Amino acid sequence: MNKVSTDLHVVGQRSARKDAVPKTTGTATYTVDVSFPGMLQAKVLRSPHAHARITSIDASAAREMPGVHAVITRDDLDGLSPTYGYFIKDQPIVAMDKVRYIGDAVAAVAAETELQAVAALERITVEYEVLPPVATVEDAMAETAPELFEEEPMGVVPAYGQGASGARRLGRNNCYRFSYETGDAGAFDGCDHIFEDRFVFSRDQHFHLEPFVTVARMDGDVIEVWSSTQNPFPLRKELARVFQYPENLIRVRVPYLGAGYGAKNNCKTEPIAILLARKSGRPVRFCMTMEECFLTQSQHAAILDVKTGVMADGTFVARYGRILLDSGAYSDASPLVAEKAGYRLPGPYNWQHLDIDCDCILTNTTPAGPYRGFGGTQAAWASESQIDIIARALGRDPFDLRMQNVKNLGEAYVPGESGIDSDLRVGLQVVADRAGYDRRASGEGRGMGVSIGFKDAGGVNKPAQARVRITTTGGVYLECGSIEIGQGIHTAMSQVVAELLNTSADRVVYPELNTDYTPFDQGTNASSAIIVMGQAVQQATLEAKQKVMDFAAMELGCDVDEIELDDWCIRKGNESHPLAPMIMCYYGGTGYEFSGAGYFKPAMDHSAPLETQCVSWEFGWGVAEVEVDRETGLISLVQLVVSGDAGRAINPLVCRGQDEGSAIMGLTGVLFPCMVYDGATLMNGNGLDYRVPLATDIPDGFSSVLQEQGHGPGPFGAKSIGEGCMLPVASAIANAVEDAIGVRIRELPLTPERVLAAIDEAAE
Amino acid sequence: MSGELAFVSCTVNGVAREFHVRAEEMLIDVLRDRLALTGAKLSCDLGACGACTVLMDDKPVSSCSTFAWQAGGSEIRTVEGLAGADGTLDLVQQAFVDNSAFQCGYCTPGMIMLARALLDHDPSPDRDAIRAWMGANICRCTGYEMIIEAVENAAAASQEAGK
Repeated sequence: MNKVSTDLHVVGQRSARKDAVPKTTGTATYTVDVSFPGMLQAKVLRSPHAHARITSIDASAAREMPGVHAVITRDDLDGLSPTYGYFIKDQPIVAMDKVRYIGDAVAAVAAETELQAVAALERITVEYEVLPPVATVEDAMAETAPELFEEEPMGVVPAYGQGASGARRLGRNNCYRFSYETGDAGAFDGCDHIFEDRFVFSRDQHFHLEPFVTVARMDGDVIEVWSSTQNPFPLRKELARVFQYPENLIRVRVPYLGAGYGAKNNCKTEPIAILLARKSGRPVRFCMTMEECFLTQSQHAAILDVKTGVMADGTFVARYGRILLDSGAYSDASPLVAEKAGYRLPGPYNWQHLDIDCDCILTNTTPAGPYRGFGGTQAAWASESQIDIIARALGRDPFDLRMQNVKNLGEAYVPGESGIDSDLRVGLQVVADRAGYDRRASGEGRGMGVSIGFKDAGGVNKPAQARVRITTTGGVYLECGSIEIGQGIHTAMSQVVAELLNTSADRVVYPELNTDYTPFDQGTNASSAIIVMGQAVQQATLEAKQKVMDFAAMELGCDVDEIELDDWCIRKGNESHPLAPMIMCYYGGTGYEFSGAGYFKPAMDHSAPLETQCVSWEFGWGVAEVEVDRETGLISLVQLVVSGDAGRAINPLVCRGQDEGSAIMGLTGVLFPCMVYDGATLMNGNGLDYRVPLATDIPDGFSSVLQEQGHGPGPFGAKSIGEGCMLPVASAIANAVEDAIGVRIRELPLTPERVLAAIDEAAE
Repeated sequence: MSGELAFVSCTVNGVAREFHVRAEEMLIDVLRDRLALTGAKLSCDLGACGACTVLMDDKPVSSCSTFAWQAGGSEIRTVEGLAGADGTLDLVQQAFVDNSAFQCGYCTPGMIMLARALLDHDPSPDRDAIRAWMGANICRCTGYEMIIEAVENAAAASQEAGK
């Protein structure tokens, strides 16, 4: 049988990434680089109003403009199912009855040049009846607030298991509620102390450098799209529904992605590009500007009310949470983000009782959607901040209080769930030791804070398939739908395959994704690639290998047990038999391919709250050390130490990049302004005004420690690593600020104004 | 839309090039659309992110915010011109490969050209100088530490090669 050596020679190597040469020489192809003869450029007319009814649109003059080949407005949607969304199909390709935020798409033009397209947009006349906007969650929930949707949009509530539930339209502009409850609510009655705090989370924008972009064309009857997307198969399904078109006549192709961080799930530029391509009969490129990206997707701002009951000895007992997510103008992925924010609010601690609601509130602002951390960032901000509040109130060290209450390795997260697959105490000790927590300076403007970021990893009920083909001469095709979005998945998966085939990763190629050929995957998201797809890839590789071994044993007239695969030779004792001649001898001179298929899906389980047990649990342990200037309110980050548990690092360099990159991304929401709104108008939605961390913003004391605890479900014990280290950053810094100056800030970002206000408040 | 065409003569990666460009045409458009040098990437289109960075007479410029006519008489270098004819990577490219100093790769051509300009200007910058210089461009993926280490290693390698 196939044996996996414990003596690894490819897995664990700090080898160069598979995409290293194309990406460092400028030859890597991204969707922005895809071009065809006669390709038209698309531009979109966007709403100047936050909330308005469209009384008329006249695009006739635009259609007559030079170079214009197609124009679409709401009058061009016949025969389509023209709205999309994850669970709730509320977002139209172009505005129909109303516009719901500044930047909402109203019409689109395809012309021979971008300038011609822009000139044509200026000739489209739209009359609006302006409606009162709701710019904030509080405004949107008010009893007299105007509804973004007067009628309930088509949609579904997903099935849930033990303790969890979903609901729609429970209040004004409330598009979804996720609830989770376990244990007896009476548990609060027995608590010695109850803490109630409100935390506020601002909204970052993904700021992926490659914009949302699609090139679409008709290839005979086939709708063919090149797209910068994280989930081509669900995208294909959604496009098939929107265009009322067979799924197998829609071909989605995905080159390298210039990042996404969650934003590039589901429809963005695709429906408009396809519609214009069908109307014009020409290839159409729709590439947004960065300003348009700011008007297309953001993170969820949130208000989190958390009530926690504890015993005098510090034992956690019960937690109640009510979370309000600012969903922006359309539901998008809000129901899923709500599920995750709500489900993750308890953190990896022991509780007797939990009662959590997370509501998605529509506002007349940029639609909020998936963003790295996926609700976990918001939840960790509140949860891990409050743990320090509790620790200080009880006179306990925040580190010790966490050590006392965290789940043990293997303990179920909540009833019906899988066991925690990292040793949380080990992880916390690692970062505390690196940062020098025990000998820290506390007070007088300098302080240190700890935090544990936590999320369930691998998505919910997520299936994945993979195929491995091996040519006559030992070249390996790994056909797998995990997108190379920057995380290094081509590299990691190739190392896994090479290890299993006892060969070099150089032999493995990873063909560009094409939904016509690539086996199904639900999407490159939810930190799922290495733990979900990785298991499918492992199975596919082992199946292909088994066929090779059976063939070789037959040819050599021996048992499979007597031979080993060694870099496309068969070793039998001291003999080495190259496989290529053996294959050509049997299958003929043109050769043959061996192939294997792999599949993974977690089992359905109604006792699990989300209907399947979580595949794995992802952690990011963090320690921040700050200096706070009490005169200016400025926070200087002295140290930021983060650590993730890769289980088994397939490529330690790639893992390090994930830990550090996610931590610094997490810094954006803490020490930078984020998206600033004046009413419903976004004030800093461009690359110049919007500040993301630069190299000069990173302190010398920033470092990461890669743990390999060995408990992961992925190949060789691997775990997810892409999101964990973003999760502890905000709370670790706020906890450090309190350690430094004795004031607690409950609202992000931690601006100098908020620091000064908190100092003033504490002085009163 | 377009007035008179301007005549531009320059060298790109060592090859003499001549163009007639419209007044509003940007350098990045000429590089990408006419020369098929698609390494430089358009992102913010405001000269803030640096994904479009190329070298003009050894100085880094945002090609999204440089008019094509401004390149007249200059020597333009792009990421495609760094490696040798036999494919041997430039020391900066090799250091980015060895240090895994990229993820999605969209900023990488710009980062590499920015680093090349630094080492052309100062062959042995210290870590602070590297951090300050590389602070001109945005990378949203890496958290920068591995980029800074790559530039340190490239500097060390070029010192070694120069001995």
